[in-house]
Amino acid sequence: MTQELTVMMLTWEFPPRIIGGISPHVYHLSKNLVRNNVKVYVVTCDFPGAPQHETVSGVEIFRIDSYKNPSPDFATWVYLMNVNMQKEAAALINRLGGKVDIIHAHDWLVANAGIGLKHVFRKPLLATIHSTEVGRRNGIHFDYERMIHETEAWLTYEAWKVICCSNYMVSHVRWAFGLPKDKLDMVPNGVNLQEYAGNKNADLTQFRRKFALPAEKLVLFVGRLVYEKGIQVFVNAIPKVLEKVNAKFVIVGNGYMKEPLLNLVKSMGLSHKVMFTGFVDDNTLKNLQKCADVSVVPSLFEPFGIVALEAMAAKSPVVVSDTGGLSEIVEHGVTGVKVYPENPVSLAWGITKVLLDKKYAGWISTNAFKRMQEKYDWNKISQQTKAVCQAVLNEYSRSFWA
Amino acid sequence: MRVIILSWEFPPRMVGQLAGYVKELALQLVKRNVETHVVTYHDFLTGEHGEPGGVMTYRVTNPVRTHIGVLTWVLTLNQEVERAAANIYYKADKKINLIDVYDWHFIQSAVTLKKAFNLPFIYSVESLEEHRSHGANYPFNMAIKSLEWLGLYEAKKVIVKSEWMRDEVVRIYHVPINKIRIVTPESKTWIKNVLETYNSVAGDAVPK
Repeated sequence: MTQELTVMMLTWEFPPRIIGGISPHVYHLSKNLVRNNVKVYVVTCDFPGAPQHETVSGVEIFRIDSYKNPSPDFATWVYLMNVNMQKEAAALINRLGGKVDIIHAHDWLVANAGIGLKHVFRKPLLATIHSTEVGRRNGIHFDYERMIHETEAWLTYEAWKVICCSNYMVSHVRWAFGLPKDKLDMVPNGVNLQEYAGNKNADLTQFRRKFALPAEKLVLFVGRLVYEKGIQVFVNAIPKVLEKVNAKFVIVGNGYMKEPLLNLVKSMGLSHKVMFTGFVDDNTLKNLQKCADVSVVPSLFEPFGIVALEAMAAKSPVVVSDTGGLSEIVEHGVTGVKVYPENPVSLAWGITKVLLDKKYAGWISTNAFKRMQEKYDWNKISQQTKAVCQAVLNEYSRSFWA
Repeated sequence: MRVIILSWEFPPRMVGQLAGYVKELALQLVKRNVETHVVTYHDFLTGEHGEPGGVMTYRVTNPVRTHIGVLTWVLTLNQEVERAAANIYYKADKKINLIDVYDWHFIQSAVTLKKAFNLPFIYSVESLEEHRSHGANYPFNMAIKSLEWLGLYEAKKVIVKSEWMRDEVVRIYHVPINKIRIVTPESKTWIKNVLETYNSVAGDAVPK
């Protein structure tokens, strides 16, 4: 099969190395690009036990020696790791006789390598900005953060086009780095529906009993227990929900707020109604999402909100705060319920509405699942990404570098 | 012969002795018919490009202005050095004989250009982190040492200015002794020795 397009992905994480959302994103994107007749090379950091070079689902993966001496700080490690990544990627492109059409960098973590390779080989650079320093830190406060912020700005400046995963992120990135509108493209994140299909006849009754009594509705929160995820709003909504419905509140994830939250729940006298599971394995998580009578995403800041999509893929009705990427994923009253951010009363209203009306819950989760298939399917997302690549190459072909 | 010199200091920007040395070397090379390109840092006091005494200089500046130290500053400056060097490479129809890189700062660029274009490079050692930091081995020093190691490993030849430095390079980094050339600037045959070393690295690939 002759491939019409060759893309080299640079990413600091790729399975089995999973730190955040970039790893599964690049994995599914690469795999589906291959299905759409694109040759994909992934250059990424090494991981114990993972081979230096392997081909998975047609994707050629090269794992580089990430800098392993102690580093002064995370950002310096990133720059040092980029020395190796750039070196190895340069050698690879050289071996391929320059047969790479586009270099695709994911976040500032691979900015140096991507920018260097762009100039050395005179190839167009494409960047996906998954998150920003100014968003993560809610502002830029120290030189360390400003350095990362400026590195992100540098990447978007050098990139031919910048992809963001939501309209919210498009406008956020425009604002943060002052980019022209036509430099940005929105291609959503996706969820692999097959991973949620599983065995249809599998009986989850026993599994569910580990978390909730048969009489209790199961309300699920999945996320890091940190301020921006709005977990405190969720906990404060619990008594108001319990006034109307008998339910168990399952909180999956860890974070610096775990201890204070445990104390809060205890002081509210609700320890028997709230369960903190900590981190759970992938299978348990998916089963929990399938069992949940409602999945709640009460974030205050959310670039995309993949957890809402995952819940939708598991056919669980969702209640989300109307903010960031979540605002776009959910259509209020059609594919889920949107509530006011940082408002426990509003959140309790949304949860209660879904729990009390089984027909309504079924209707929104069915709609949401359909919407998932239409919009957040990796095959379609990769086709959109391919179209962005082709648009870039078309412009590039008229430049003096071509 | 066509050579690209990478040095983080070059007149009028002088930090230590390196600037003066590189300038003198570049002028002497030009006199001996070596097309000499110097890529260095732009401190806003000079233009981006100039040809003092026939030496083509390119000054790049750091796209990331805020830094937490010299290490991150150097690590983000390298991509601009690569951009300038690649521009020279393509403009010269890909005919560059070798790169001569001074100290650890632009090793990243030299190594990437080597891997990308099969361009050989010489690592000219002015000083080593081991001596500059008096043996300190914090992660900061370790990072610089790892870049020095990378440069010594990937270089085709290493130039030092004294026997003492040659022995130190061997002692600290276990570089094979026959990879190192001692070229003393005080010697009457200084530029001749430099050219000999250049020629031994460039091999037959002299295009001109």
